[in-house]
Amino acid sequence: MNSSTRSRLYRWDVKASPYLYIAPFFVLFAAFGLFPLGYTAWVSLHDWSLLSDEHTFAGLDNYQRLLGDPYFWNALRNTVSILVLGTVPQLLLALLMAHLLTMRLRGRTFFQMGMLLPNVASVVAVAVIFSQLFGRDFGVINWVLESLGAGRIDWQAGVASSHIAIAVMIIWKWTGYNALIYLAAMQAIPRDMYESATLDGASSIRQLRSITIPMIRPTVIFTVIVSTIYGLQVFAEPQLFAGGGYDTVTGGSSRQFQTLTLYLYEHGFNRGFQFGYASATAWVMFVIIVVIAVLNYLLVRRIRSSS
Amino acid sequence: MRAIHTRRFLAAGLAAGLFCLTACSSSDEPDAASNAGSDGEAITLTIGLFGDFGFEPLYAEYEAAHPGITIEERIAEFSDHHTNLTQRLATGSGTADIEAVEVGFISQFTATPDRFHNLLDLGADQLEDRWLDWKWQQALARDDSALIGLGTDVGGMAMCYRTDLFNEAGLPTDRDEVSQLWPTWEDYVATGQEFMAAADGKYFFESSGNMFRAMIEQAPVGVYDSDDNLIVATSDHVKHAWDLAVEAIEAGMSNQLTAWTPEWTAAFGQGTFATIICPAWMTAYIEGSAPDAEGLWDVASVPGGAGNMGGAHLVLPAQGENPEAAYDLIEWLTAPEQQLKVFQETGNFPSTPELYDDEELTQFSKEYFNDAPIGQIFTEAAQLVQPQYQGPLQGDVLTIIGQGLGRIEEGAQTPDEAWTQVLSDLESLA
Amino acid sequence: MTMQLVKGGEAGPAPRIGRRSHRPVRTLSHRLRPGRLTYLTLLAVMFFSAFPLYFSFVVASQDNSALGRIPPPLLPGANLVDNVRRVFDTVPFGAAMVNSVIVAGTITASVVLFSTLAGFAFAKLRFKGRTALLVVVVATMMVPTQLGIVPLYLLMNQFGWTDSLQAVIMPALVNAFGVFFMTQYLREALPTELLEAGRIDGAATHRLFWHVVLPIARPAAAVLGMLTFLTAWNDYFWPLIVLSSPDNYTVQVALSNLRSGYVTDFSLVLTGTLLATLPLLVVFVVLGKQIIGGIMQGAVKG
Repeated sequence: MNSSTRSRLYRWDVKASPYLYIAPFFVLFAAFGLFPLGYTAWVSLHDWSLLSDEHTFAGLDNYQRLLGDPYFWNALRNTVSILVLGTVPQLLLALLMAHLLTMRLRGRTFFQMGMLLPNVASVVAVAVIFSQLFGRDFGVINWVLESLGAGRIDWQAGVASSHIAIAVMIIWKWTGYNALIYLAAMQAIPRDMYESATLDGASSIRQLRSITIPMIRPTVIFTVIVSTIYGLQVFAEPQLFAGGGYDTVTGGSSRQFQTLTLYLYEHGFNRGFQFGYASATAWVMFVIIVVIAVLNYLLVRRIRSSS
Repeated sequence: MRAIHTRRFLAAGLAAGLFCLTACSSSDEPDAASNAGSDGEAITLTIGLFGDFGFEPLYAEYEAAHPGITIEERIAEFSDHHTNLTQRLATGSGTADIEAVEVGFISQFTATPDRFHNLLDLGADQLEDRWLDWKWQQALARDDSALIGLGTDVGGMAMCYRTDLFNEAGLPTDRDEVSQLWPTWEDYVATGQEFMAAADGKYFFESSGNMFRAMIEQAPVGVYDSDDNLIVATSDHVKHAWDLAVEAIEAGMSNQLTAWTPEWTAAFGQGTFATIICPAWMTAYIEGSAPDAEGLWDVASVPGGAGNMGGAHLVLPAQGENPEAAYDLIEWLTAPEQQLKVFQETGNFPSTPELYDDEELTQFSKEYFNDAPIGQIFTEAAQLVQPQYQGPLQGDVLTIIGQGLGRIEEGAQTPDEAWTQVLSDLESLA
Repeated sequence: MTMQLVKGGEAGPAPRIGRRSHRPVRTLSHRLRPGRLTYLTLLAVMFFSAFPLYFSFVVASQDNSALGRIPPPLLPGANLVDNVRRVFDTVPFGAAMVNSVIVAGTITASVVLFSTLAGFAFAKLRFKGRTALLVVVVATMMVPTQLGIVPLYLLMNQFGWTDSLQAVIMPALVNAFGVFFMTQYLREALPTELLEAGRIDGAATHRLFWHVVLPIARPAAAVLGMLTFLTAWNDYFWPLIVLSSPDNYTVQVALSNLRSGYVTDFSLVLTGTLLATLPLLVVFVVLGKQIIGGIMQGAVKG
């Protein structure tokens, strides 16, 4: 190999290698991420069922039907309600935990690990275990409530109670994880800020609010957005919470905890297998997710800058 | 240069290689089995059921008599089972060689007979007399050109009740006297009132949906007319059944349990309700759910006359690659001798009338049910059943109505609201 | 939506403080003495973290009738071994475990490899469109792939892959988070001088990758691997839709199917839950410290 070939090869290597290295990601992502999303749009414009080989063009019919279906709006309401109930306390709790963990603790690793423990359990496991804990007749939580003199609650039957139960599953699984993320961010805050605050007589909680949170704002925004995206797609928790029968698809007999993903599942992969309709649902969900994520971002940014 | 390529392809191929490895092994298995099958070698037959059909001991017997055949059972939850079957039939892959179909779903599948092996071509054309006529008819395609399934059990109804709870409530416990309490459903509800007045924290029945379904099954025409029109909105009988179920709910008789949930199962063990509609197959669930309640349950007649609730067919999806072997197995499983054994084992009642005067059937009783002569009770029930036409979405329709009653039970809706929603749900179903 | 990455410490040669400041400062940690209330709060949190898992262990060691008992059982019984045996009898749980290991293992290997490759390119190599493409990567982190399930299903059906493990593996072979994570890490941890020195010696890019990048990326790769494995192992929605025969179930699908026996037996279901969680628990106990370090280092959700 002479030196000119070698230098040509070398130049080629320098130029092409980066593209080769990022190619697998983009190729695979295009094939299994982007393409399906685009294809969803195409399918959503058709009367397209798994059970029939005919796919007739239907224009925006599916969207029209979807937006006219009270069950869709019900699912959207449920999803947002569960999202708020599951995310807000979760992140506040995570902040508090992270704050506590910044202190000079004995057994710090123990506490950190204990906090992260729930995150190891799968969503299915979480849903199965909590469905038992929230059982109407023989659940531990109702047993405790009853022993305390409060009555039993039929957790699955009510709108609020079922949303709370599902929110608890989300909170349980994700609080520790977010606490660790916050903790990481908090550890980068310069200590002198707190020292002067302490000299000014600011309490620990006050310091959390006026120093810590503003300082870790980017992290907070990030966790809010990620939790929101996660919350908007909640599926296994309500599905398995229903116990059995067709309620697992409708989210209870009153659809009291049917989420958007469950609604999509009902139409796309259950009764009817209406792929066109399910695809329309998916696209509307996508739009909702983007809108809510952006709103979140703006909102969190504003809260911070006003404080 | 070559090195770059090698590495890169190695890298890209690593994952590909790994999954290909697994994919090949998993997708090769059925092929291998079927290839071997034609040579008379080892065949694995899969059989997909909802719930327990009591076939387990029979498999061993069949395998022993047919070397080379292995039977693999898959059990899924009732509603999942039928949904999944629909999906797998549509995509052309994933079904078992043999699948069970409950009566509420059978006409949905007879509408597409080409997705199943035609059993008339496999030898079933000789066997028509084996089954109750209506059972045979249910699995026939509309134009009678194809038969998609062979009948397993039928669900002639009785009423199971807890003697201990009846006793506590001051009601008679003898099964004949109990039967006399409720010739009609109105009497049944009246008895419920009496029970509720005396019972402390117990319920008269487990769920109103079951009660409603029983009443529907007894009518000559159910939720569909014979032209596949849904008649829920206009049928007096449906409305009457609904109103009576609502009356019972409002009297607090329902334990508000959804069938097949863990809560439902646990309630059997705890004895929280006093009666349950008992098609023959239900006896197995009672026994399985409350093994400690032996002798506490008894069986009386069901109010309102005879009717069939539940029962199943075994079908052979066309994607199954061993239709002959699969057919031989289901023919054997549904033969009278085997149906009798299944009955004795689990309580699933035979759909083959030649057994109905067999003493082994008619004299059968079970200690668990206080030695109730369940053979005789269910034989009479089965013989009295008048066939009722089952529409294409029968199962879904009953589910939707059941959910409506559930909403009333939970206090989420008034009966009127629930009924309105049932009707609109049914509209969007079609 | 770029976020600040905070380096947590032990793992890797990264500087202790994030990009915001490279000047050493005294940080928040170890600043306050915790009071009794702090410990009480933390212990309460520990209790609530552990109780549901403990309870599933309790139920898994009872027979089914224990579930109907009031008060509920709070101490382990003697039926664990029996229940484990029944789990394996009821669903092909062993096969499901193997399937999950194959699925999660393949996905992990692929994600780590491709993310490191792309991360290296984005962090240290110069090429046209680098910034724009990186923005695309970050933006795609927002796209929930779950929403493409209908066409994904049609696609798999077209290929004849429904009800096979490829169908579960293929869509998960890469993810934007991994690329982003590795890019951020390598940008900090990989000394540019080292690469330049290698270049001067005439090393081809793949050599640099192999001999310089990979060793340095190892700690981050381990973390990314663990997070990916966890996510893949616990995935439910897509496998539930695309896998139909029990022989091909992953653990999570098998688990949801355990409820389908003819008498719903909760001790059985929770035994399965426990079995499905156990491998991860073991990993967690052994590698917990590193996982925590990794999460804090990435400061992002997997």
